[in-house]
Amino acid sequence: MRYAFTIILLTVLAVPAHAGYRELFEKEFMRTPWAIVKWEGSACIGCHTADTMEERFRDIPAQWKKSWHYKNNVSCHDCHGGDQEDATMAMSHQRGFVGVPTYGEVPEFCGKCHLRILDKYQDSGHGIALRTDNSGPNCVTCHGSHDIQQANIDIINETLCSQCHTYERAKLMKQALFLVESRLDDVRAQLDALKGAGVLVDKEEKAFFNTHVEFRALFHSVDVDLVKAKTDIYNERLDRIEGDISEIHKALDFRRNFAAFLFLLFLSMAGILMLLIRQR
Amino acid sequence: MLKYCKTWFNERFGIDDLVSSKFRLFPVPKDAGFMSTLGAVALVAFLIQVLTGILLIMYYVPHPDHAFTSVQIITNEVPFGWLFRLMHVAGANLLIIVLFVHLAHVFWKASYKKPRELTWLTGAITLFLVFGFSITGSLLPWNQLSYWSTTVVTSIPSVLPWAGEWISLFLRGGTSISGITLSRFYAFHVAVLPIIAILFGWLHVFSVWRIGFAPSLKEERLPWKEFRHELHTVSKPYYPVFFTEQLRSVMLYLAAVFFIIAFFPDLFFGPGSHVVANPLQTPADIRPHFYFRAFQKVLEIVPNKTVGVCIHLIIAVIFLFWPFFDTEPERNIAKRPILLFLFFLTVVLWFVFTIWGGY
Repeated sequence: MRYAFTIILLTVLAVPAHAGYRELFEKEFMRTPWAIVKWEGSACIGCHTADTMEERFRDIPAQWKKSWHYKNNVSCHDCHGGDQEDATMAMSHQRGFVGVPTYGEVPEFCGKCHLRILDKYQDSGHGIALRTDNSGPNCVTCHGSHDIQQANIDIINETLCSQCHTYERAKLMKQALFLVESRLDDVRAQLDALKGAGVLVDKEEKAFFNTHVEFRALFHSVDVDLVKAKTDIYNERLDRIEGDISEIHKALDFRRNFAAFLFLLFLSMAGILMLLIRQR
Repeated sequence: MLKYCKTWFNERFGIDDLVSSKFRLFPVPKDAGFMSTLGAVALVAFLIQVLTGILLIMYYVPHPDHAFTSVQIITNEVPFGWLFRLMHVAGANLLIIVLFVHLAHVFWKASYKKPRELTWLTGAITLFLVFGFSITGSLLPWNQLSYWSTTVVTSIPSVLPWAGEWISLFLRGGTSISGITLSRFYAFHVAVLPIIAILFGWLHVFSVWRIGFAPSLKEERLPWKEFRHELHTVSKPYYPVFFTEQLRSVMLYLAAVFFIIAFFPDLFFGPGSHVVANPLQTPADIRPHFYFRAFQKVLEIVPNKTVGVCIHLIIAVIFLFWPFFDTEPERNIAKRPILLFLFFLTVVLWFVFTIWGGY
């Protein structure tokens, strides 16, 4: 009887104790960023893919999923504001929702992140034309919006530029950009290859990113002479990055040679032991 | 000086006596060749894993925010960290190959038969523990491959009735792979599994040392009525003859490890191995390590997942207790056509499913 009572008492006490522990465990560990339990859904996507959504807005999430922004974890609320975790407050201005900018507001809208490009753009012929009579191109004119892709030199093309002016001046700009742009592509490919092989290239990537961003920002001034004048500076910076990449290749060669030496060492030792075994 | 030290220790430990009684007089069948040395190779390979693992622990940070970076720092910034990490990765894969070949050889020679049932059982448990090391260790670099392959692996038990969901929850520490899973797998990889593996590994070696090597097929086998050290009719001493052969095999193993590190350093890194884990982005193609591909393919082709997992469990139980199922006294597999057929069928099917699982 005594034992039965003790067991019942322990069981009764253990149930709430266990439940309490579970609750605490859930609260303290499971729902903290430490346990990287991230918000996986998005109120924006939930509504914009629903059948009740207007058709012209329904395709936006699919376009975004193909974009460079998506690949770099830039989500709806990063540009449009609002609260993506709470459907009722998703479009609340109190939570920073800005919705769709007007034609003239687009540069400021994108420039929240692309600061250096915004500066150069505002001073350029494109920016001045937009500000004075809303006639200049904004970011979306050349780059698109939700299906935005990684920019490259081919964005300067006759079809796009001749919407507003002749292609001649744009062509000169494309020629001025060509050398540095092709080197940027080349260095990026080298960095990607090293990264793909598990080499830590954070320092080189940072230097590359800065060079890349500054050069792209410079282009947005649409000043051919300025681009030509600064080409040497960017070439020097790319030389330095390529120098660092070459050092990494030397380190990788050392790894291969050192491991090959150990391979030959152990193979020779195995050979010597084989001879010893045969002699017996 | 060396002679003085040797004498000093000899007077206290009786090293000469130990070598003479336990190693020189330890008989090994005369025809025990390269394949018979693979057990020792596996032991050394395991010890190398322990040693390189300890060096990796010194710099590894078991936290989702730092695990990937710490592995990258080990590989790229810690002096010779790349060597220890690649030795650990290549060694882990080669260890499994060595164990598979060792297992096939033991099966072929029927060395598991009475009185060596426990040698088989402890060896089989050690093999499963090595699989456990592989599963827990592959999450630690916290890359896309490790994250998503662990997602698949930890979901497998959930198809089992009753305790399935609970096992999955226990392994993950929640409904998805998180920092808790990482801590849990890290604890298993560096603390729980090593203790159990050392225990079973030691029991395996101990049973070989106590009974001795299994006699070759040519030797006449006396009925086993009580414990005795195996006395071989034609034998060679363990030390220095067989020991030299084992040493040669260990050197060849190390040469293979460094050959892979030098010329194929990415051989055992699948796609996504060098990309940090992203719980929000499922890679298109996740394939397990080569030694799990056959098992995964079976799971894929069996329409009912519970049946698929149960097939594996039944195979695992038969494999573990095989010496108790196979009580036929005939040791020569060539004289047992059904067993011979089953052996080749298993090997061929394993290769077919492994290659198929790679596509």
